[in-house]
Amino acid sequence: MGTCIAVKHLEFRWPGAPSPLLTIPSLTIARGERVLLRGASGSGKSTLLSLIAGVHQAPAGQLEVLGHDLGRLSQHRRDQLRANEIGYIFQQFNLLPFLNAEENVTLASQFAPARRKRVQNPEQHAQSLLKQLGLAAADTQRLASQLSVGQQQRVAAARALFGAPSLIIADEPTSALDAEHRDEFIQVLFKACAANQTTLLFVTHDQGLAPMFERTIELSDINHARKDDGDA
Amino acid sequence: MLKLAWASLRNRRASAILTILAIAISTLLLLGVERVREQTQANFANTIAGTDLIVGARTGSTQLLLSSVFHIGSLNNTLSWDSYQYLTKLPGVKWHIPMALGDSVAGYPVVATTSDFFSYFRYGDGLSLELAKGTVFSEMNQATLGAEVAARLGLQQGDPLTLAHGSGGISFSDHDQHPFVVSGILNRTGTPVDQAVYIHLEGLGLLHGEFDSEHSADHDHDDHHDHASHAPPVYTLSAVLIGLEARPLALRMQRQINTYKNEPLTAIMPGMALTELWRTLALFEQALLAIAALVVATGLLGMLTTLLASLRERRREMAVLRALGAGPFSIFSLLVSEAMLLTVIGVSTGVLLLFLGLMLGGDLLLTHTGMLLRASPLTSNEWVLLAAILAAALILSLIPAWRAFRNALADGLTIKL
Ligand SMILES: Nc1ncnc2c1ncn2[C@@H]1O[C@H](COP(=O)(O)OP(=O)(O)OP(=O)(O)O)[C@@H](O)[C@H]1O
Ligand SMILES: [Mg+2]
Repeated sequence: MGTCIAVKHLEFRWPGAPSPLLTIPSLTIARGERVLLRGASGSGKSTLLSLIAGVHQAPAGQLEVLGHDLGRLSQHRRDQLRANEIGYIFQQFNLLPFLNAEENVTLASQFAPARRKRVQNPEQHAQSLLKQLGLAAADTQRLASQLSVGQQQRVAAARALFGAPSLIIADEPTSALDAEHRDEFIQVLFKACAANQTTLLFVTHDQGLAPMFERTIELSDINHARKDDGDA
Repeated sequence: MLKLAWASLRNRRASAILTILAIAISTLLLLGVERVREQTQANFANTIAGTDLIVGARTGSTQLLLSSVFHIGSLNNTLSWDSYQYLTKLPGVKWHIPMALGDSVAGYPVVATTSDFFSYFRYGDGLSLELAKGTVFSEMNQATLGAEVAARLGLQQGDPLTLAHGSGGISFSDHDQHPFVVSGILNRTGTPVDQAVYIHLEGLGLLHGEFDSEHSADHDHDDHHDHASHAPPVYTLSAVLIGLEARPLALRMQRQINTYKNEPLTAIMPGMALTELWRTLALFEQALLAIAALVVATGLLGMLTTLLASLRERRREMAVLRALGAGPFSIFSLLVSEAMLLTVIGVSTGVLLLFLGLMLGGDLLLTHTGMLLRASPLTSNEWVLLAAILAAALILSLIPAWRAFRNALADGLTIKL
């Protein structure tokens, strides 16, 4: 199956911070795996995700994503890798409010030539993804700013899945949803990921989600940085 | 990228439209000033053509030019009839037009001259004066009007006319015992000719009591010239326009006239004097252009302000784009595209407004100010100005673009609002 994410002795410190926020000896996530990453607020979950997404740079030789050592890729190459192979879902405000749902989904290929190539008919693909995620056909032409938070998250998930990227990163995408919508959202996300053999890295501080995932990682277990330094 | 910039701008419609409007209006102003400048320069250079020398009593060259060609200001000194006779007899002189100034009709200058004025005076690229209505004055009490004078005073052929001594609108000594009659009206020329009233030298002489009408009362008008050579119609003249057989003679003749022994005279070459005068006026026009340029700068700074202010509200938008794989350079170029879109639309609107204004208001401008502005295609100068606006916008847009670039790198995907 292959490795999607491989961490080897990762140590990351924000510029100006007195001590490292993350010190992770080892972490491996295989392709196609669906993993829940759990951790307390401020423990560095989003920081780890931004390293994996290549927005910030890990030191060389410590973090590999889809076979690329992110520490050795230029900013531009990391941006390209993210554009083409990684779908990202935020906690909320994922969409550009002035575009409609469908346009927000096809926006995924704006900076991603490889994704564009994998999709023959962007509108049709966007429509089928939105349908798969349970958005009513009538809502696909509505402006993002007119959709409910739950609908917005579905559109965000559809965008992350657009053009079949290898990895989906979701940073607390359900924290703005109620329990019922949350479970439903995760179920459709699972189904869509399974269909494409997509790896899913799902972050939460919510204890209740663990049973739904095949694997759960506690950040506090793998991160050996001293806890009390986190907010210093 | 442009599509995205466009969509984002549409979302911030109100501020975008205001920015575009500011740029459009400042562009309109800049182009308008440039057009007026070019037009006045052209009009200015076109006021007189074909005249090789202008001669007056000893005075400054600008003063002589202003009074003889533009009928602005008054000449304190005059040249005698004898000196005029001397000038007409100089070798190489092809034609000569005597001019006596000083009277006015409702504030418009009266030029007393001979019918030679209508035969020899040229303007523009050598155009001669043409009559719109009636005839050139032939009787002593007839007057030929410039187009503007006739239009403004509502005078028709055959209407009576009262001359006033001095150039003021309100006259203290009307020559109303000698009323004149309008004999004809000249076509519009766009030169000071439009603003003047032309009468016979002898008519003026009669008015001022210098010319004895009894003496010639029973003579035909045809032999006025004979008669005039015996007894001058007026004692003094303000200026004489001279045309030469060959233009190169002008320089030598100018020296000769300037050193004339019997009376101190000044001879100027109108082309050179006009250039000299224009240089003084150009300073004023350049100041006007500079002010217009500053207004454009203000418009562009307004755009800079709105773009910078919008960045704060748009950090979310930027984070989303970053998550989609937009590099800092994409964010950078997004902002540059936005600025250029705003400027291009603004500038185009400005040009459109200019043409619309000229097409609708050009005639109004002509009748009220005598300024002839056409909705002609953009000149190369105007293209340069437009390019300069775009270049300035491009340079200014680097500031918010750089700011967004830095934010994109620092914020990453997590934004603390
Ligand atoms: N761009 C940044 N620059 C400097 N420090 C940062 C930056 N982003 C986060 N941090 C710091 O890193 C630490 C962890 O933040 P992070 O956002 O990774 O936590 P988290 O686990 O995602 O928390 P939450 O559950 O609340 O989202 C915090 O102390 C924060 O101040
Ligand atoms: Mg977080």
